[in-house]
Amino acid sequence: MKFYAEMLDVLYMREFHAIAATLAKLAKDCIMILAQEQMHFIVNEEHCSTSSPLVWVSIASKDYFPEFQMTPARPEQEFIVLVMSAMHLSRALAVLRSGSSSSVHSCKLNLKQIQFPCISVIASVVSPSSSEPREVVHDVPVTVVPPSDWISYMLPKVPNTQIVLGIPSLRLLRSLIDKLKNISPSLIFHGSTAGELNLVAESDMATITTRFSRVLLHKPDQEQSEVGAEAEADVSCSVDTRKASAFFNALQLPNEEIMIGIDSERCICLQLDIRSNVVLHSILPAVCI
Amino acid sequence: MQHSKVLYEKGIIKNRKMLTQSQYEDYQMACHLKHIKTFYSSIKAICFSDFGTLEANEDGILISVEQGKSIQATLFISAAFFAEFRIDGSPSFSVKINVLAECLSLFGLSDCSVRILYKGEGSPLLLLLEPHDDDQVSTECSIKTTNMEELMEYDLDANSSSLNTIFMRGPDLSNIFHELDKAADEFELTISPLKPHFRITTLGVMQAETSVEVAKSSDMVILFNCRETTVARYKSQQIKLTNKAMQVASKVAIKTDASGLLELHFMMNADDQKEMYVRYFITPLLETEDN
Repeated sequence: MKFYAEMLDVLYMREFHAIAATLAKLAKDCIMILAQEQMHFIVNEEHCSTSSPLVWVSIASKDYFPEFQMTPARPEQEFIVLVMSAMHLSRALAVLRSGSSSSVHSCKLNLKQIQFPCISVIASVVSPSSSEPREVVHDVPVTVVPPSDWISYMLPKVPNTQIVLGIPSLRLLRSLIDKLKNISPSLIFHGSTAGELNLVAESDMATITTRFSRVLLHKPDQEQSEVGAEAEADVSCSVDTRKASAFFNALQLPNEEIMIGIDSERCICLQLDIRSNVVLHSILPAVCI
Repeated sequence: MQHSKVLYEKGIIKNRKMLTQSQYEDYQMACHLKHIKTFYSSIKAICFSDFGTLEANEDGILISVEQGKSIQATLFISAAFFAEFRIDGSPSFSVKINVLAECLSLFGLSDCSVRILYKGEGSPLLLLLEPHDDDQVSTECSIKTTNMEELMEYDLDANSSSLNTIFMRGPDLSNIFHELDKAADEFELTISPLKPHFRITTLGVMQAETSVEVAKSSDMVILFNCRETTVARYKSQQIKLTNKAMQVASKVAIKTDASGLLELHFMMNADDQKEMYVRYFITPLLETEDN
């Protein structure tokens, strides 16, 4: 079982750290699935009141890593599956965030066995005071998941949704949902093919309706012809406000657009395209009012 | 309320009472404010109790909050502060003040304009918020109102011989209070025509005392009007409730008389000269035997 990857681009390294930081805000542990050309992270849903939702990130290795070598334990296996502390990973990568004070040349990830299995994060940093690069090494302990258990670590599938809307103002949405959690425990997402998204929070004391008009509509590829394209359709789903807020508050990425898919009365699925082949997903399950 | 009505018809909004479906002209109160920042921060400053009372007339809007019949804060916003201000009659009602503050801050740091509408008894208070930096987004908040609760009436007798008045610069007074003993239980305010003119003493648990004296000739003092010495003690917790307003005040008026009732008047420093102030009435502590 071997894994070695190297990053060279400053922008990509910063993004990679932002992804790890987002995961660390969501949960204690994260799952890393390494495939031949893909790297996936999964953070599972936590079942407590201030819980965070299920979030997963898929990274096409070609985009971020000029070098990416993965050799599974046995040739017939497809993956290496690891569990690690999201916080440790995020801290190990924190040096990549560095601004003007120092610059990072490269960052290597290496699966190693010291006394225990770990992912070794080696960043080569040049500080302004000296020309010699120094190496910052963090060993993040990991647990290797045997293939017999892989079934419980499968990558989630994006559910089919009736409508997908692209919201260009993530910043406003974030502060809105953060405030709404103090008003009502559940939040209704209502989308229509006319290009509108309404967020409704209701309680005894107040009703708050926010409309995002002229949002971009991404039609799902299949089954559209049956419904009749010209008929205006709308779907809605009610979700836990705290869970939604936990997701939006955790986001550490600079993206301003988010795609919101609504599966009527089943779930809201959120998709953040960090780049074309680097995508963050989340699912907010429906709640009964 | 265009979009809330549509959503109600579709069954998304369930609470019909929160909808007002009449024409714009029928509102008892219709105001429009271009920038909510100052409005929000002054509401936040008086947000120390559950319910607040809103009264409006042609001169402006008064929002009052009370706690335990011993402190009352009133925010006054003059009609000139609004871009549009139409009042029919004199509407008054009670509303959950923290819900109102929460609604005004829905969009966080982005500046918004707000339209405030109220149709009349029994109908909700409507806030229509529109952020300036994104015209595709708009919010309709409808907040439940209840009948107005009777407010305590506090008044200082303007003709009383013991009425003492001091006008001070806001930032200076705020600095003085900032440096006082945070752990103190009680504050004692002395105003007298002779030295020390104006003194704030804090009394702590361990008999610890600190005091600050401000002479009437000080640069901090704009006006000093005092004929008789007044001394009164106040709960420090109640004085602390004025902190947020004091921090943003440009000018403060301190008034009291022989009864000890303290009136604090904070002039808000809005960018232009439009009037907005917060007034506090704080009742004094009774003299205990050992004093």
